[in-house]
Amino acid sequence: MKSFKDHNPIAVFIYYLFVIVPVMFCTNPVLVCISLFFGIAFRMAKDGAGALKKLLPFAVFPVISMIVNPLFVHKGVTVLFILNDNPVTLEALRYGLTIGLIICSTVVWFSSFNSIMTTDKLLYVFGSVSPKIALILSMALRYIPLYGQQIKKIRQAQQVTGLYKEDNAIDKIRGGMRIMSVMVSWALENGIITADSMTARGYGVGRRSRFSIFGWQKSDKALMAATAVLGLAAVLAIGLGKLAYVWYPQIVTPGASPAAVVCYAAYALLGAIPVYLQLKEEARWRSLQSEI
Amino acid sequence: MIRIKNENLRKTIRVAVPFLLFPLAVAAGVFVFPDNSYAWITVVCLIFAMLLFYASFDKKVVGTRRMVIIAVMTALSVIGRAVFSMIPAFKPITSIVIITAIWIGPESGFLVGSLTAVISNFQFGQGPWTPFQMFAWGMIGLVAGYLGKPLRKSRVALAVYGALAGVAYSMIMDIWTVLWYGEGFSWQLYAAALGTAIPYTIGYAVSNVVFLLVLGRPFGEKLQRVKLKYGV
Repeated sequence: MKSFKDHNPIAVFIYYLFVIVPVMFCTNPVLVCISLFFGIAFRMAKDGAGALKKLLPFAVFPVISMIVNPLFVHKGVTVLFILNDNPVTLEALRYGLTIGLIICSTVVWFSSFNSIMTTDKLLYVFGSVSPKIALILSMALRYIPLYGQQIKKIRQAQQVTGLYKEDNAIDKIRGGMRIMSVMVSWALENGIITADSMTARGYGVGRRSRFSIFGWQKSDKALMAATAVLGLAAVLAIGLGKLAYVWYPQIVTPGASPAAVVCYAAYALLGAIPVYLQLKEEARWRSLQSEI
Repeated sequence: MIRIKNENLRKTIRVAVPFLLFPLAVAAGVFVFPDNSYAWITVVCLIFAMLLFYASFDKKVVGTRRMVIIAVMTALSVIGRAVFSMIPAFKPITSIVIITAIWIGPESGFLVGSLTAVISNFQFGQGPWTPFQMFAWGMIGLVAGYLGKPLRKSRVALAVYGALAGVAYSMIMDIWTVLWYGEGFSWQLYAAALGTAIPYTIGYAVSNVVFLLVLGRPFGEKLQRVKLKYGV
């Protein structure tokens, strides 16, 4: 077993798809709360209790949405009070809160997505669609620091030849433009040389393959299978409208029908996977350490 | 993988995917599906269509040189976004995408635009908006590429296209703002979102015009020179 972030990026990517998308498909507060709970739990399991502090600003979304929605939407039967001749209703308030929580939970999940799916992993996912695109992406990524270094070199070369006055703003701007111009010319020529070098070494002769350090092990397949079964169960229940809330004029909940309960349970299990893997890995790490 | 042999068919697919499939998929999302699922249907459609585009590009025979040039231009526009990150809405990305598209071709424009969105969002944060940015910049590049001839000739046309592209970018991103809110698509909400975004829209348009006027000619000359010298 390995921790969640060490699984095959494709499995992890699909996991995120299945955990984030269903929440967006239906405005169901129960589902959203499950999602938010496990999203925060995973961040805390991964980064310690300090993560909670970082996530706190996201609490703005539900608060704002809860205030703003009733100001614009006046549907609903339970009138709380009248503001400027417009009724503020409980239904609109609760709908706003739910929408805010959806946004909040998506942002929380994306915050762990951003730290887990590093550039190399996303490149791997891209590469499975098109090796050519993945190559372009990785070349562009390499060029970014290279151009930074090149700009420095050009600037130094120009300063040595005495091209700059220190106290002249216009001269500075013109100098900056000159450096950019030199840099772009160099970048394009350098690119062509790279391309010729690639051709000379036989790029494009055979079928394009790609290197990756990510394998498909039993645990990756297990993660994929669990994601597919649990995720599809949740998506199916949502697609059939088993979790649909009616918000206006009066809130009608789907209640605890068997389908709804199964869907909640499946989604909760899905959300718990990374927390479980993370905690298990940490426990093992600790137990191994103490034996040494 | 299936390889499409017929050149005409391939060409049709390359045009049909961005221009036909997109609107169809979005329309299906809006009219057929109930509930508040538009946002995600749209995102899924966008990803799907872009994957198709990438897949079709992968099958195409593209010169190594052209491929590297695409990577170079992508890197340059990512740097451009990072350099101007302090000033909101004032970014050279759109203009670099347009310049690439008119000198190298529509598909290169699409790729530079969409890949810039992916890469620069490593720095600025990935999110559900990434596909929308990919689509917006990609389409601006694609259309600029098809209008290549007039845009290469006249600086006025280039500036006008830049301004329109800024407005288009804002309009595409506001579709996202409205869908994100979860009420489904409504014209009033869309109009409200467009209204609040007016300062940004103006910022996009102005920065595009400024960057196109400043960068357009020197960049064009350089690209043309490389094209002439090496025959890209």
